[in-house]
Amino acid sequence: MDGLFQKYLRPKKIPSTACSGCGLGQVHKRVLLAIDGLGLGVQDVIWGTGIGCAGRQTFNAWKGDNFAGTHGRVYALAAGLRMALPKEKKIVLTVGDGDAFGIGLKHLLHCARRNLDMTVIVADNFGYQSTGGQFGLTTPPGAVTDSSPYGLSETGWLGPDLDVLEILKAAGATFLARHLSLDGKPSVDNLKLALLNPGFSLVHFIFPCVTHFGAVSLAERDKPLILSWFKSVFNPAYGQDRGESFQKLKDRINPGFLKLKRGLYHDASGSRPDYSELLKAWTDTFRPDRAAPKEPGRAGSGEGAEP
Amino acid sequence: MKTVFDTGNAAITEAAILAGLKFYSGYPITPATEIAENMSRRLPMAGGYYLQAEDETAAFHMAIGASLGGLRAMTSTSGPGYVLYADPYGWAIGSEIPVVILNAQRVGPVSGITGAPGQGEFYLSRYPTHGGNFETIVLAPDGVKEAFEMTIQAFRLSERFRTPVTILADQLVTDGWEAFQIPQDSYELEALGLPLPKRAVHWGPDFYPRSDDIDIPPVVLGRGTGGACSDWTPTEEGYDTEEIEAQMKHSYRLIYKIRNNRKLIDRSLLTGMEDDPPVVMVSYGSPSRVVRRAVKAARALGIRVGAISLKSLWPFQDDLFDQNRIHLVVELNHDGQLVREVQRASGGRVHFLGRCGELPTVTELLEIVRALFGGGRPRGIKNVREAW
Repeated sequence: MDGLFQKYLRPKKIPSTACSGCGLGQVHKRVLLAIDGLGLGVQDVIWGTGIGCAGRQTFNAWKGDNFAGTHGRVYALAAGLRMALPKEKKIVLTVGDGDAFGIGLKHLLHCARRNLDMTVIVADNFGYQSTGGQFGLTTPPGAVTDSSPYGLSETGWLGPDLDVLEILKAAGATFLARHLSLDGKPSVDNLKLALLNPGFSLVHFIFPCVTHFGAVSLAERDKPLILSWFKSVFNPAYGQDRGESFQKLKDRINPGFLKLKRGLYHDASGSRPDYSELLKAWTDTFRPDRAAPKEPGRAGSGEGAEP
Repeated sequence: MKTVFDTGNAAITEAAILAGLKFYSGYPITPATEIAENMSRRLPMAGGYYLQAEDETAAFHMAIGASLGGLRAMTSTSGPGYVLYADPYGWAIGSEIPVVILNAQRVGPVSGITGAPGQGEFYLSRYPTHGGNFETIVLAPDGVKEAFEMTIQAFRLSERFRTPVTILADQLVTDGWEAFQIPQDSYELEALGLPLPKRAVHWGPDFYPRSDDIDIPPVVLGRGTGGACSDWTPTEEGYDTEEIEAQMKHSYRLIYKIRNNRKLIDRSLLTGMEDDPPVVMVSYGSPSRVVRRAVKAARALGIRVGAISLKSLWPFQDDLFDQNRIHLVVELNHDGQLVREVQRASGGRVHFLGRCGELPTVTELLEIVRALFGGGRPRGIKNVREAW
């Protein structure tokens, strides 16, 4: 891992200021492994970040070019930047669940609609944890958080009948996958596919927050137990052998509530063009002599208007 | 020069293209829609990109993103969109990214009246975002011809100061039809300071110097400079920091790069001020044209009155105002915005005529000026008050 850090990250930002037991480092490492696996260099990737744990911990950690948007707006920044970058340059965005699925969802959907070439890594810690642990758009129903002291009664974007990735798929995203931060090779493989897709890719990583989600919603401070609970999110049978102490966690929040598919969710890589490339190509071949005449359509002077 | 008869919207489009615009993003809104329409038609001819955003917040962010990649970028809107610019406006100020913004002011608050001129964003253009610790650059054209020149000027200032620049127009300026001139040959382009210098690449590592120097290229992404820019308080290299000392140094730069180089921005037109008249009318934008007509009419009657037409609004030109004169501020709102600033800057007697959605008339202005000369106070005349 040291080699990977030295190759791609800035020493000033390592180690990060993440809490002990946080899964963000794992997500970050998976992305670097995928970049390395594809043989990409520091110059090949422009790294953007959002607000919250996921954004702040990864901002300017990349040795190359970095940018960070205000809350939920990094997708719109990336959309404009895409128009200015050659297609060889990749845009990677590391953002949180609130940034992507809350405040920034509209911009995210429009990036998916335009199939703009970028890879969005949503590092999901089940709520607004950097502000102290309020429920978010992916917090399990019933969870006690600092802003749902009686248990969360609202429906979020994740549940047995609802999946935010389905919304993104319908919006036109051409690559979608979901993993746990603890997933090894399969997640790196999907990240590679995401980076290779010449269009909009999003990989949703669920990762454990021990400080807020663990301590408040699961009422547990034992890190291995918290990790086990997260492992059982995708595999409800996991940790059966851990006895009563684990059962207590499962009773607090049923990890099977999500019924989410793990791994590849949707792969339509290359099935339709990236709008930024279309627009660039169209502009390059634009012939002013074919330009539309100026006058039609002006209010009140349209053709066929009554005299 | 080729003389063209067209709208302010068209003039702004043509000027922006001459200034090297390569990216426009916007969201349709009256009375700035025609800029978007003109851009969608004209920009491809100049090898530029037109992107219609999902909302104004995205429109401005996209323009910043394109500027970050090295493209000259612009967006335009009216009041309801200008408030949505707050978020990206702050980002561009803090990260020092050049973008040009056009605001065609209409009548507010909120959606108000779409197709009538207003001047309600005088202070909003000074404080277009939260947090303080910055200065803004705002220019105010009074007609189509000036809108053309000022658009070029806005791009120049935006690049030199590496900050967003607002052109604060109003509906009469953008929708109005007037003749303006488009340069045709290199000699005529040069006279307008065109073409603007190409943006240089800042190779770092001190992307955020602690000085008030201008003419420093901004961060450009995608060239392998290792540049970093964010919404956080930056260190010199662009790392995010919580150090108050770094914040103070950054604020110093954001404020004083503009205050200490304001000679490049300050612009006004003085009419009938040669004999130091005791009564002076103050205005900007389209009302200033009525005001100047009123000065002419008053002078013909032998009334010693002058006018200050502000062409740049922020930073505010305090030194134009004098305690010993009576100032009458004419603006297109009923609450009085410019008048507060004039009162602060002059410290003298200030009166206010507020109109909204329509211009005052010359006759009306003459009546008020006469009342002021009579030593009286213009009470009883509609919409005229003493400043508070």
